[in-house]
Amino acid sequence: MLKTYQITISGQVQGVGFRPFVYNLANEFLLNGTVSNNEEGVIIYVSGATENIQSFYKKLTHFPPPVSKIQHSSITKIDFIDYKNFKILPSNKKGQLNLSLTPDFAICNDCRKELKNKKNRRYYYPFTTCVNCGPRWAITETFPFERNHTSIDEFAMCDDCLQEYKNPLNRRFHSQTNTCPTCGVSLKLVDSKENEIEIVNETIFNKIAKLLLEGNIVAIKNTSGYLLCCNAENETVVQKLRLQKNRPNKPFAVLFPSLKFLKKELTLSSKELKLLTSTESPITIVPLQNYHGKITINSVAPKLNQLGVMLPYSGILQLLASKLNFPIVATSGNIHGSPIISENKEAIEKLKSVADYFLQHNLKITHPQDDSVIKISKKFEQEILFRRSRGFAPNYFNPSINSNKKILALGADLKSSIAYYPNEYLYLSEYLGNLENYDVYNRFTSTTNAFLAIFEQQPNIVLIDKHPNYYSNLFGKELAQKISSTLIEIQHHKAHFSAILGEHNLFNKKVLGVIFDGTGYGDDAQIWGGEFFKYESNQIERLNHFNYFNWLLGNKMSKEPRLSLLSLASEEMNTVLKQKFTQNELKTYQHLKQNNQLKTSSVGRLFDAVASLLNITDYNTYEGEAAILMENLITNYDLKTCKNYLNNLENEISSTQIIKYIYQDIQNGVSKENCIANFLFTLASTILKIATTNHYKHIAFSGGVFQNTILVDMLIELVPKEIKLYFHKQLAPNDENISFGQMMYYLNIKN
Amino acid sequence: MDIENIGFETINLGHGSGGELTRNLLDKIIFKTFSNPYLDQKHDGSVVKIEGEIAISTDSFVITPIFFKGGNIGELAVHGTVNDVAMCGAIPKYLSLAFIVEEGLKVSEFIQIVQSVKKAADESGVLIITGDTKVVERGKGDKIFINTTGFGLVHPKANISVDTIKEGDKILVNGYIAQHGMAIMSEREGLNFESTIESDTTNLNFIVTELLDKFGDKIKLFRDPTRGGLGTVLHEIANDISKGIFLKEKYIPLEKQVAAACEMLGLDPMYVANEGVFLVIVDSSIELEVLALMKNHKKGENAAIIGEITSEHPNKVVMQSSIGGKRIVSPLVGEQLPRIC
Ligand SMILES: [Fe+3]
Ligand SMILES: [Mg+2]
Ligand SMILES: [Zn+2]
Ligand SMILES: [Zn+2]
Repeated sequence: MLKTYQITISGQVQGVGFRPFVYNLANEFLLNGTVSNNEEGVIIYVSGATENIQSFYKKLTHFPPPVSKIQHSSITKIDFIDYKNFKILPSNKKGQLNLSLTPDFAICNDCRKELKNKKNRRYYYPFTTCVNCGPRWAITETFPFERNHTSIDEFAMCDDCLQEYKNPLNRRFHSQTNTCPTCGVSLKLVDSKENEIEIVNETIFNKIAKLLLEGNIVAIKNTSGYLLCCNAENETVVQKLRLQKNRPNKPFAVLFPSLKFLKKELTLSSKELKLLTSTESPITIVPLQNYHGKITINSVAPKLNQLGVMLPYSGILQLLASKLNFPIVATSGNIHGSPIISENKEAIEKLKSVADYFLQHNLKITHPQDDSVIKISKKFEQEILFRRSRGFAPNYFNPSINSNKKILALGADLKSSIAYYPNEYLYLSEYLGNLENYDVYNRFTSTTNAFLAIFEQQPNIVLIDKHPNYYSNLFGKELAQKISSTLIEIQHHKAHFSAILGEHNLFNKKVLGVIFDGTGYGDDAQIWGGEFFKYESNQIERLNHFNYFNWLLGNKMSKEPRLSLLSLASEEMNTVLKQKFTQNELKTYQHLKQNNQLKTSSVGRLFDAVASLLNITDYNTYEGEAAILMENLITNYDLKTCKNYLNNLENEISSTQIIKYIYQDIQNGVSKENCIANFLFTLASTILKIATTNHYKHIAFSGGVFQNTILVDMLIELVPKEIKLYFHKQLAPNDENISFGQMMYYLNIKN
Repeated sequence: MDIENIGFETINLGHGSGGELTRNLLDKIIFKTFSNPYLDQKHDGSVVKIEGEIAISTDSFVITPIFFKGGNIGELAVHGTVNDVAMCGAIPKYLSLAFIVEEGLKVSEFIQIVQSVKKAADESGVLIITGDTKVVERGKGDKIFINTTGFGLVHPKANISVDTIKEGDKILVNGYIAQHGMAIMSEREGLNFESTIESDTTNLNFIVTELLDKFGDKIKLFRDPTRGGLGTVLHEIANDISKGIFLKEKYIPLEKQVAAACEMLGLDPMYVANEGVFLVIVDSSIELEVLALMKNHKKGENAAIIGEITSEHPNKVVMQSSIGGKRIVSPLVGEQLPRIC
């Protein structure tokens, strides 16, 4: 007896070769029927022998296409339909979208091979993709993922491509991004005056490699935005790039020509190698010990003992890499602080003072994304996301949400991101940057609007940070008023805490929240940043915090670690301060300190003060610089010999005392490295002490300070096994997680 | 004026009681200083004649310190209200003047303030026609508070209205911004600079009148960005007109010393208070003529065209920064709180 079943699959199942996969599988199991995409995912009707259908279903759900992610699947028997064959039907969207979007994928090995195969018709074609690889979110206009919903639709498939598209046995069967040199995207190399230099794919990469070797800066339009590239072994050009990009010290990422090349110059762990070659292909920050290549480290990653590296993850980068015998700097195409550029005209306008040449192509990028960044801690190999962007955005998998409300969370301002819950899925935008920059702000609002448009839903609830001067706060107020939705302000650090509670689904536990970061607007209108919270039964309460000290001079304090030192310094340190300030400054600032009203518990500023005291830096040219430089100064530490600067204190968590004892250590000739280790150990010990005195068995960490991999390793080593530690895995610990945290706070906290 | 003749050194509660001491204070200081036919009537109020549309504005002045580089609270109280009347497109004529004095204020200081009021009023061409003086207990005031109300005759050619502002209209300011706020701040925090930063407190009514004489209704709006600074006022205007404002930072007049003081204190000059600054929005057809007139006037030597009205970002003020990139000039809520992480 033949039967008919309806199968529905949801999750990341569109734009990943699901329908062609189902087609071939159905034929394998001798089943007739149809497969199509709709607003909920993939819907399959199959008729055949029940046992065949069951085997088909099992194989389908257990061994789906490589880049798909199944979230839910169901199978139900329905009235028999007498299908004559198995067919792929075009998308049939009847209602609003209710499925995962699809992120960008690194080029797969099959496609990679074709690029280099002289006999293949895609030889040297950088937009070679298949169902398993290529850009997706970067080119998405609407959804479901069909060619006519993406910007690739401008390129009509030629006969050859169409043949592949229609052939069930071909890897490009129903590949929506299918193009070739005949019908597809074309390249153009121009100089900064837009004079054409080269347009032939086969020679263009040779030319660029030569230009790079000669010390030029080349802006390369990749699959998700422009990259600025130059020879990483040429100090002069790297410094020139720094100057033009207005980025004095922040480290650049380096693209290595190949895995082989990378392995020759650096020793990597298997975890690091796995990340670098994953479909997300993030920039991976690796230790530089024993580096024996020729990269001009002092200019690429000034004063650092680590390097962000990446491997060619797109056709363009692969083709370029094949012509290189040196690593290149590959950094987001923008002026420091602006969003990554993706349009040819804008690139010339804004980058002509930076780049000597531009590699353009004519595929429109609808969602420009920076590269994601990850670091793995040395001792316990904790994976810490620094930036969640290309490859990860715009999905967030497996949140436990059950709400019929449509919720939009607008995050924080400095590492802005947006979270949206319009259906049964949660979407989390790519990292958007600092909203202080108007172009970033525009990208933030256009990303919000894109979310509202793609899902055809307006939020009932808009969540914003409490900071009255955050641009996201002001935008949220405008938006909520315009669409008459409920506006809720959520405290910054409570959002951080909720983010980590949500990521590990800890809402049924009693948890100590340790939230350390730079600044956030507190419930008492002071600047928080060294917070201990307790979570229990859907309530968050501030349990303790670093003793308040003076927050001086607005934003200037975050830019000048010497000001944090001044704020925390006692009189005995006046000689130190005299070296860091002019007489006039010192007099003025000390006067200001006496009458100052604004207070802070910021651990970020405590790091700054320590860095200044140890003469590591008095100025931050990028966010977190002081803390990163300190982390990079230690290679090894021994917990047994580390000292806790707060040992003698009962309940006080005194930054002033920490600074005082470090000063004493310096006087006693203790090395910088040991002072830093002691400082980090003090933080870890304080956390442990608060957990044990309050009998917590679960500690959750969030905030930018927990990007410090040594602190994370120390905590893992120090804290006894019966206390469980929770660090961010899917999210960055920094303010990128605020949008997600606001969402989790709204859904779970009933303060 | 000679303090010996007044017969007391500090002002005490009795001077506000309404009795003999009050009369003494008023006669010996106030009436003597401001003597004019209206005030000399010594009534509860004054009867004056104004024909036509009148503009009225009131303001209370509280400031620490009361004496600062470039001025004191007395002239501030005149200029502030004179300017507010002028910003309505009117010619200021009369002022009321009310003091709230904290017990213990030195008579010499009081006299100095009163004299400054007199001088500023004379220079601005306004008469003090009614007033009041109260004394409060020690600790219940901050040395001295002043309230003034100004009355002015609307300029016959004026048509000041946000409704006429359109895309392309230009925004000008008459001179250096942030001087006043930084002068006060330097005084309060004991800041030292190569040369002292002085408050820009001054009257703007004559330059405003000249502009109206010459350009009439091509002038759309006058505003003086006092408290909250240029940034806050421009934001208010953008909201009032539901249009955008685009500025270029490099055109905004900022004196080097003041810029350095702002930098040193981590303050954004866009939000620092001004007293002698006004902005004017004009039709783009006359922008250069307006600029020329202002530059020729001693209250506008450092005038500049700083930006324009745009339809691109309604309700928002966007500024092209001089180091590259644009930013939104948002309204300042509370103090300048740190945003950077
Ligand atoms: Fe934060
Ligand atoms: Mg007023
Ligand atoms: Zn592929
Ligand atoms: Zn083709």
